[in-house]
Amino acid sequence: MSNNEKIIQISMHCRGGQTCITASQLLAEMAFEEGFKDTIAIPIIGAERRGAPIQAFTKVSKSKPIKTYDSVVNPDYIFMFDTSLLDIPKIKATIKEGVNLIINSPDPIDTTGLPNNIKIFIVDATGICIKREFMHSSGPILNIPMLGAFGKITGYYNLETMEKVIKKEFGESRLDKNMSVAKDAYESVREM
Amino acid sequence: MTESQKDFVQKRESIIIKGNVAAAYAAKSARVQVISAYPITPQTTVVEKISEFVDNGLMPGTEYIKMESEHSVFAAVIGASKAGTRTFTATSGQGIFYANEMIHWAAGARLPIVVAIASRGPAPPWNIWADFTDVISQRDTGWMSCFCSEHQEIYDEILMSYKVCEDHEILLPKFVSYGGFILSHTSKPVILEDQDLVDKFLPPLPSEEGWPHIWIDPKRPMMFGNLIMPSSFYYEFRLKIHDANIRAKEKIKKVAKEFEQTFGRNYGNGLIQEYKMDNAIVGVIIYGDLALQMEQAVDDLRDKGYKVGMVKLRHFRPFPTEDIIEVAKKVKVLGVIDRATAFGSQTGGPVSCEVKGALHETKGTATVLPVINGLGGREVTLEQQKNQLIKLVKYYETGEFPKDVIHGTLWDGLLEVE
Repeated sequence: MSNNEKIIQISMHCRGGQTCITASQLLAEMAFEEGFKDTIAIPIIGAERRGAPIQAFTKVSKSKPIKTYDSVVNPDYIFMFDTSLLDIPKIKATIKEGVNLIINSPDPIDTTGLPNNIKIFIVDATGICIKREFMHSSGPILNIPMLGAFGKITGYYNLETMEKVIKKEFGESRLDKNMSVAKDAYESVREM
Repeated sequence: MTESQKDFVQKRESIIIKGNVAAAYAAKSARVQVISAYPITPQTTVVEKISEFVDNGLMPGTEYIKMESEHSVFAAVIGASKAGTRTFTATSGQGIFYANEMIHWAAGARLPIVVAIASRGPAPPWNIWADFTDVISQRDTGWMSCFCSEHQEIYDEILMSYKVCEDHEILLPKFVSYGGFILSHTSKPVILEDQDLVDKFLPPLPSEEGWPHIWIDPKRPMMFGNLIMPSSFYYEFRLKIHDANIRAKEKIKKVAKEFEQTFGRNYGNGLIQEYKMDNAIVGVIIYGDLALQMEQAVDDLRDKGYKVGMVKLRHFRPFPTEDIIEVAKKVKVLGVIDRATAFGSQTGGPVSCEVKGALHETKGTATVLPVINGLGGREVTLEQQKNQLIKLVKYYETGEFPKDVIHGTLWDGLLEVE
């Protein structure tokens, strides 16, 4: 066990109803299933409501125990579930140099005001959900395609692991639909 | 154990769950027979998960009673416990305060009830986030009280607690608390133990036997909780509650050792857990979730050559006076970090008051610097904890209090107000 091993830190931004709290939990489970020794999912809980900005974090570690409960302020990866969140200065300011940004958008985004040396990955999670009719009462269920894209970019887990975790969490009933959006995102995510 | 309860099945597995869910699984593994429940944030998902277990037939023979308030919840578990069953519930903050009358009653009646507390700050202003003032304010009720710093520890501690509480020489109720949201709603890997092994460690209660001091048997009616005159045994009963609490210290240590032998997880001596205290010059006493994060702060500062260490306080009641004296002999400066308040007391922090009280007659112990942080869920970051340690080291080196000490206590992480 290397003492200097870096704990990988992920920060997620979404709007209430866009399912990033569940995404942070599923990501922890997928990494654990894939052999990461320790993980933690940290939702920031306040008075949530549909449409309000929501944040959640996940920390994953290959061998070192994770002992912290604090918020991620220097993330390695940022999930942006909604491009409109980039208009909020406080959220935009969390995108720092060296970050990998995974954003739900059909088109390349406007990078004005963002640091130069970041990697931006685009996945049309909303488009995929609409095409596959993967919706809940107030919109597309974005967490599964976002996680599919993340699996592809990082190689931390593959579609098979995703399927195991999704089956364990949600059962068989919508497994095919879950996996179809995961696969679409896995295959279509691209670096900008 | 009733016939139907033999169907309890649980294989050993490691799953990623919220702290509240870990508490629910512990109740299941412990084969709790009666649950009474009323929802309150941030505890609600404990009793929700248990209701799911019961509904899905995973806790056969377990009674689940929905109540209309926390006062009634505690009255229900008291009744069920009087009948000799293993009982459980969970609550938080205002719920504890509402149940206060029954909380005193449970200890007076010497009933081994275990209650999970997802701690939250007392209102007003309305607050639902981590702050141990709620459970610590029950200090003088006679209940035993402990803190968990990790998800696994919630599961493990509930199992250990039943074993201590139900010991016929102890027979006291106990709170098992953890920070609201910080543990209750975050998720980490937790090992759920094999049911057979849990049964061996914590055997299911024999049916219809009751506790040695009380049992419900229509053939042998007994009166209970009646008025007794001041000349009768009320006073002596009070001494016995205190005596059982003090004697529980040895029992807690014994059960922690037995737990380690059975499941392989160590919790210090059960009352406290030292971390890198050998050759430390500056140490801290800390409890709850911040104790785990402080381990990382100690690791990071040790890497930079600072001689720092920490002690995790696992039990608040009974208070480990003797152990605290021993650790206070090891260091020169001892920070005592509270995430709770004791207004108007010597330090303002409940645990720092206890520590000062424990040390006052022993020479050669560390200088205590009380610290308060994170009230009402105010985030305490790893960086902040490292700075706390550095402030204590500077205090040792210069003998001067940090700048922001108020009435002798470091209130760390206050907002800057003009």
